[in-house]
Amino acid sequence: MERIVQGTSPADVIKQLQNADGYHITNTARDLSQSDFKNRILLHTELLAAEPRERAGFFSLEITGGASVHVDILRKQVDPFLKLKILRKKMPTTMFQTLCRGVNLFGYRPYPQNVIRFTVKEFAKYVDVWRTFDFMNYIPNMQAVFEEVGKAGKINEPCICFSTGPEHTDAFYVKKVQEILDVTGKDIILCIKNHGGLGTPKRIGELVNSIRQKYPDLPIHYHGHNSDGNDVGRIVAAVQNGATIVDAGDASFTGFYGPPPILTVIQTLKDLGHKAATIDEEAVIETSDVIRDERKHYEAFESQIKGFQPTVQIHKLPGGAMGSSLEQASKGGFLDKMPDILHKELPRVQKELGNYWSVTPGSQILWTTAVSNVQGGERYGNVSGDLRNLLLGKYGPFPFYEPEEWIFEKVLGSDWKKVLEEEGGVEVIDDMDIAKEKETLAEKIGTEPTDQQLVLYLQHPNDAVEFFKFEDKFGKVYVLPPAIFLHQGSFDAGESLQFTDHTGKEHVVEIGPSIENEDGGTSVYLNVDHHQRVYDFEPDLPEGVSAKAAVISKEEILDLAKAGDMRAPFAGNICEISIEEGQEVSAGDKVAVMEAMKMQTPINIEIDGIVTAISAKVGDSLQPGDKILKVDSDE
Amino acid sequence: MKTKILVANRGEIAVRIIRAIQELNYEAVAVYETPDKESRHIRIADEAVWLGDGPRCDYLNIAKIITAAKKTGAVAIHPGYGFLAENPDFAKACENNNIIFIGPSSTVITNLGNKVIARQIMADAGIPMVPGTDNLTHGDEGVETALAFGEKYKYPIMLKATCGGGGRGIRLIENATQMKEEIPIARAEAKSAFNDDRVYLEKVVIEPKHVEVQIMADKDGKTIHLGTRDCSIQRRNQKLVEIAPSMIEDKELLDTICDTAVKAAKASKYFNAGTVEFLIDKDFNYYFMEINTRVQVEHTVTEMITGIDIVRTQIKLALGKPLSFSQDDVQMRGHAIEMRINAEDPKADFMPEGGKTVSVYRSPGGYGVRLDGFVYQGFTIPEVYDSLLVKLTVHGFSWNETVDRLRRCLKNFVISGPKTTIPFYLNITKEPDFLAGNFDTSYLDKHPELFTYDDNVDEASKLANLIAEIHHKGYNPYAA
Repeated sequence: MERIVQGTSPADVIKQLQNADGYHITNTARDLSQSDFKNRILLHTELLAAEPRERAGFFSLEITGGASVHVDILRKQVDPFLKLKILRKKMPTTMFQTLCRGVNLFGYRPYPQNVIRFTVKEFAKYVDVWRTFDFMNYIPNMQAVFEEVGKAGKINEPCICFSTGPEHTDAFYVKKVQEILDVTGKDIILCIKNHGGLGTPKRIGELVNSIRQKYPDLPIHYHGHNSDGNDVGRIVAAVQNGATIVDAGDASFTGFYGPPPILTVIQTLKDLGHKAATIDEEAVIETSDVIRDERKHYEAFESQIKGFQPTVQIHKLPGGAMGSSLEQASKGGFLDKMPDILHKELPRVQKELGNYWSVTPGSQILWTTAVSNVQGGERYGNVSGDLRNLLLGKYGPFPFYEPEEWIFEKVLGSDWKKVLEEEGGVEVIDDMDIAKEKETLAEKIGTEPTDQQLVLYLQHPNDAVEFFKFEDKFGKVYVLPPAIFLHQGSFDAGESLQFTDHTGKEHVVEIGPSIENEDGGTSVYLNVDHHQRVYDFEPDLPEGVSAKAAVISKEEILDLAKAGDMRAPFAGNICEISIEEGQEVSAGDKVAVMEAMKMQTPINIEIDGIVTAISAKVGDSLQPGDKILKVDSDE
Repeated sequence: MKTKILVANRGEIAVRIIRAIQELNYEAVAVYETPDKESRHIRIADEAVWLGDGPRCDYLNIAKIITAAKKTGAVAIHPGYGFLAENPDFAKACENNNIIFIGPSSTVITNLGNKVIARQIMADAGIPMVPGTDNLTHGDEGVETALAFGEKYKYPIMLKATCGGGGRGIRLIENATQMKEEIPIARAEAKSAFNDDRVYLEKVVIEPKHVEVQIMADKDGKTIHLGTRDCSIQRRNQKLVEIAPSMIEDKELLDTICDTAVKAAKASKYFNAGTVEFLIDKDFNYYFMEINTRVQVEHTVTEMITGIDIVRTQIKLALGKPLSFSQDDVQMRGHAIEMRINAEDPKADFMPEGGKTVSVYRSPGGYGVRLDGFVYQGFTIPEVYDSLLVKLTVHGFSWNETVDRLRRCLKNFVISGPKTTIPFYLNITKEPDFLAGNFDTSYLDKHPELFTYDDNVDEASKLANLIAEIHHKGYNPYAA
């Protein structure tokens, strides 16, 4: 049968799916990278895989979206748009797929409607299949994305986020599907988004069957994670019950929390009489072969904890958040408390908070709350801004039941009923003055930005500007293989590094000596295409100078706060300054909001007084002890 | 005991002079201020005398230098250019102390250094000159004279410090209002720069070529010229690129100018090496500007095309030897171009890059290439002196060959640490007007594109920069 090729209209794609002789496969390269390699798999590696992947005949390649847009500019230093353009050249046929978090786009909290539309419009130029979800399964949160995708003539793949528990019945999900169809119309693909890899094969089979019974023409795309090692089982059950498309990844890069291997899926289903339509098995094998050797360069980004996690059925952390959660536990030194956090506190918090879906940004709220409950001593004693917003209903209504009153009281205060009445409800964010933002960006980068630069800036203002500056200085670094870009330790003297730049020119860089200068700085000598070049580095700061945390202790920060001198209590970015100079404040008032680890935390003033100086501004990245503002007490 | 000669200067010219002294089998005595204590001129000299902490004041301290000469037993002093080179008091002090001053007599320096007296001498000798005034008298009367001059010759007008030179103490006046404003400012500036607040006016020749003639004269009054140089490529009246001979095609005109220069030198009873500067307008009228009574920065291009060592000749003449060659012996071959490699950022209005360390210094070589410099790898450029690092002079048979060689040499240079004028010069060597020999003093203003170049050069170099960072830090800080 004919492959579905990029550029086909949504209606025709749906028709082809309905008439397909067998099931289709989406190669979820992005989710694999995010779940098992902290999103670090470089474009260089994806380009190595591009040719056999193109031949393999996938329904689509999921290659952007989720956290990858941010990590692209923050760590991989590649323009997410350029990435898609370059891949498209090597993969003219295969449809590209994204994962979009509805109003949260590719970030962690809601964007203004005009930013959502502008962003989707720009990405839709390169992305064919739009998998869109909302962590509360609140359909209005996805509407703007649906509309823009439709306008661009691309394919909408709305999700029902899946979880388990007494409330998560077939009837509930079938009703959600209807809510989606009411908004989108019939020419969509429906995704069952099983981001945790939850439920047994039997459970998934039943769900797919229930939806098929009600909507026999609706193509169903099953998405799962292999955290418990049993996603192949769920995939099999999904296909046996009529799922049209399933997700899997390239075997040589599969890990513990991402997709299962494509070939295993194909082989298992073949024996059960289900054919992988349009798939070229040889090309699937070849893809794994060409990238296998690259995996060793990504070792630093693989999970600290090896092995499958069947207990995901208890803690329900999504595969995409597993790596970062474990990393946080490892860096924070509380890996030993993980059994408590994962197997006791997380399920408890989930139940207490309404048993909604543990996926971005809701999974971060659950995780942070559970960690803080265990680490902080007092349950719900230290509350993130996002948990507050959740209880205020800013992300959407609780799907099944509301948390108990004592939690509202803990989080919103004793007058929580009043707070809820005054501030509660789905957040409506005012449109942004995009033209003005463009001017600001132009000023920052010293040149008129392109629309795509502006889109990146609107998502991540600071990181985008840093990225543009990085590209100015270092060029287009996606051409560097992971062996260079992710190299651990210095290179060997005399080592010869070869790469081809983005214009196709080959280069060779030979490592020469590093000489320490009189001022303590270092000159690194390289032979670049046989010409000696020297790169000078400033002397390293003496120990303690950069690590401000060591200079001022937690107790000192608290003491200063009690004197009206508000310092950053932890490392993070200022995302809001809530007061102005000269303003009167009372103890307990929120004066600023800081963000760290994707979570927002309000900074509350400790004394009554008048704000005399504001040292930090929105976007500033602060170290513990850095000044935020000063309040002079009334006396 | 060997004859000792003291070099009262620093930087590349001190090195140049020391080399000539040593080639004559004499001994060279260097002097230095504290900021120059790592400078190459001290290292290659036979002896060095510390003058003081400076900066710039000890190199200008006549008494200290005379003392240094006496203490070391130097019989002669070469002043180089700048500092005391054209200070008649210094020449006079040498004369009074029985030390040979390598240059013209203090009287000649006084006369030619005073632009007004110089103009009088030239006028008497019938040498064409740009219309100008005497020294302006102080107060309203001088301003009145200035305004009347402006009325007669039309603006723009040059307001010049009588004791200025080398591009210093010159300002362009566009109208009468500005004239009134600028006279006191110019006086104050001249006072602080030259300790002499006299100023005068000259009509401006629009977009002239700057052509000068190297002259040599012995004690007997035998005066010859070593041909022309074109120094039109300047910024703010400071020369950057110098060429010998002038690219003017009318050879008869150039001969006439050279003869005029000899006439001017003779009229001023000139002795030793000097430079007669002319402006040439669009209609090829030429005007006498001034005589510089010292060795010029750009003397190297003349040496390259004539084969005559000007500094060696200077010393021999000063020691009383007659000129050993005649005008007919002087033959010009090919073309020479000199570029002043300065530690400056051309993009930031040639902001000096002093204080930076030259972490790598690699220089070009090969056929027809000459370098006059004083920096070396590891040298920290003092912030208190000028920013000239090295003069690159190339010689070639044809103009094209010379420019090709120049371009190649600029590419061969590797100077790491300070920004330099090299990438800007590279642009000049590719610019069509320059390639066609078509330039005058408005060249830089007419070619703003010369200032557009990529500091960080090519993509490979940028990517290698990241490799260097990964290598240096042991990981990629941007991917961590």
